[in-house]
Amino acid sequence: MTGETKRLARAIAGPVAIVAAVLAGGFVLVLIISSDPVTAYRDLLFANFYSRSNFALFVNRTMPLLLIGLGVVFSFRAGVFNVGGEGQLYFGAMAAAAAALALPSAPFPLGALASIGAAIAAGALWGWIPGVLKVRLDVNEVVSTLMLNFIALLTTEYLVTNPLRDQTAYGAVSFVIPRGAWIPEIPGLPGATSGAVVAVLIAPLAWLALFRTEWGANLRAAGSNMRFAEAVGVDAGKQIIIAMLISGGLSGLAGAFYVLGIGHRFEQNFSPAFGLIGLTVALLARLHPIGVLATAAFYALVLNGAAYMQIDTDVPRSIVGLLTGFLVLFMTARPRRGLIAV
Amino acid sequence: MQASQFLASVLDQTTPILLAALAAMITTRANILNVAVEGMMLVAAFVAIAVGEATNDVALAFSCAVLAAILMSLLFGFVAIVFQADFIVAGLGLNILAAGGTLFVLEEFYQDPGGLRPDHFPDIWHVPSGSLDWAPVIGPAIERQSFIVLLALALAPLSALLLYRTPLGYSLRAVGEDEQAARAVGIHVVRMKLFAVAASGLLAGLAGAQLAMDRLHFFLPDMTAGRGFIGLAATLFGGGLPWATTGAAFLFGFFGALGDRLQLLQAPSQLVLMAPYLAATLGLVVARWRAAARNRPAPIASAET
Repeated sequence: MTGETKRLARAIAGPVAIVAAVLAGGFVLVLIISSDPVTAYRDLLFANFYSRSNFALFVNRTMPLLLIGLGVVFSFRAGVFNVGGEGQLYFGAMAAAAAALALPSAPFPLGALASIGAAIAAGALWGWIPGVLKVRLDVNEVVSTLMLNFIALLTTEYLVTNPLRDQTAYGAVSFVIPRGAWIPEIPGLPGATSGAVVAVLIAPLAWLALFRTEWGANLRAAGSNMRFAEAVGVDAGKQIIIAMLISGGLSGLAGAFYVLGIGHRFEQNFSPAFGLIGLTVALLARLHPIGVLATAAFYALVLNGAAYMQIDTDVPRSIVGLLTGFLVLFMTARPRRGLIAV
Repeated sequence: MQASQFLASVLDQTTPILLAALAAMITTRANILNVAVEGMMLVAAFVAIAVGEATNDVALAFSCAVLAAILMSLLFGFVAIVFQADFIVAGLGLNILAAGGTLFVLEEFYQDPGGLRPDHFPDIWHVPSGSLDWAPVIGPAIERQSFIVLLALALAPLSALLLYRTPLGYSLRAVGEDEQAARAVGIHVVRMKLFAVAASGLLAGLAGAQLAMDRLHFFLPDMTAGRGFIGLAATLFGGGLPWATTGAAFLFGFFGALGDRLQLLQAPSQLVLMAPYLAATLGLVVARWRAAARNRPAPIASAET
């Protein structure tokens, strides 16, 4: 019992220490540039709870970060450095919108389910490609997923500015999807998509699958030592491809939930680099599915908080990007004397 | 005329990719997969425009841009090598820092998150037009190119010389091949890796300066648009070999120029912009395919039975 608690405490201590250090550094920066640093930081950390609608936006922001982060956990646990969350997200969102628009008269659960299925398939496909290339040809997945991100974003941009473009709306957005494909809001929280609830439920399932099943053990074995895994009869290549299918599928699902539950149309600029932040969130949680719940919520909090901060004070919201840069840069650093346990 | 115009366009497209590829190559040979070239380029591009706007001094703007990229590379090297962070994570962190930092400075000091567009910006040295009339096709293609383009073309063979004909290059490759062995013969591994990273910063700085200073004379937050990553792909495509890497950079630049040409034929701009990324992905696949075919062991008795 105490051993377990101690291990958990040690696992949490590292990320918490890094986050605290970055927040403290950020406060120093805000002190220097702002005439009202206290309001700025209060907004950054607490404005999400000022009103029910702020909280709904916070819930909506958590959803993609959580799903993409969980996807990253699967791929990294299988030893694949999947940086392709953004592309998988965009393909999923586009597939959801296209499927919904293609089935204009589908009644409620069917239209939504068809769109979700299409999104998961599209995201999984975009994860499968780098997975297969890595296993069969040893193509470096960092580079292939980075390239596939650009290809996915340009493809969706083409689709949304040409065949799916809503001429009456401003910007690169598709037509509004039919009602039958909308997924409901969370009861009592107008504007918050119930997709977020599903995302929260997937986190413990991911933990169970990865840490309490033989399948998960095999997947992690493939990730920690491929040769050992092969020696004890685990088909590491297969595990890697499955992990990438799940990883891409979860990112695709995030895209579907965004389109069906939040935007109700495909918007080319809907993601403020959710893919990269999802990766940050997963790494910050030390690739633990339950930890991702906490880190995704934290990042959603800060991202939205920064927007309120920019409205109320003279601190630009891009300070979050700046601080995230330092956070990720130093996240895996190992100071010589073990100040931060890794 | 048509041919030299196209060649000029290929050179335009290739130069930043080539410099980024050489930057990634030199760290790859020291066994560091360098995804941070993108961020170093972005910072260089920003510093070039910011300093040029403030001082109207082109030499100063250029030097500061390159210096800024080197400082970024040293920050990366410090975290990834001295503090032993995962260099892919640290590299992505550097990219986020570069994007977030430049945006932050734009918002905080220039009150414009959209970019930085000075009214006046000093011009860098370009090959005078008409000076290379005597060389058919190639001459007109090189005319009006910036000195950074010429530098990039010279740096490709120079990097080969550095890696294969100098003691520094031997040591660097030794570190990349086998760290333990290199350490055993007295090579300072950390110093070698830091040198490789600093050299990549220099090259990335040139790439960023070229992007911002050659013709555009402005800075946009997403100006590098993945060219650092394409350069990395060129390095992997070329197997870390200087000539093959240079060839790959030219190949991707060629597809970029081809895309530009297609735009004149009313092809959708997104498909045009996709050309170098598609070429890089397919190029990588083909390169690995050939390597896999070459390294495949001769068929022996089936392992399953």
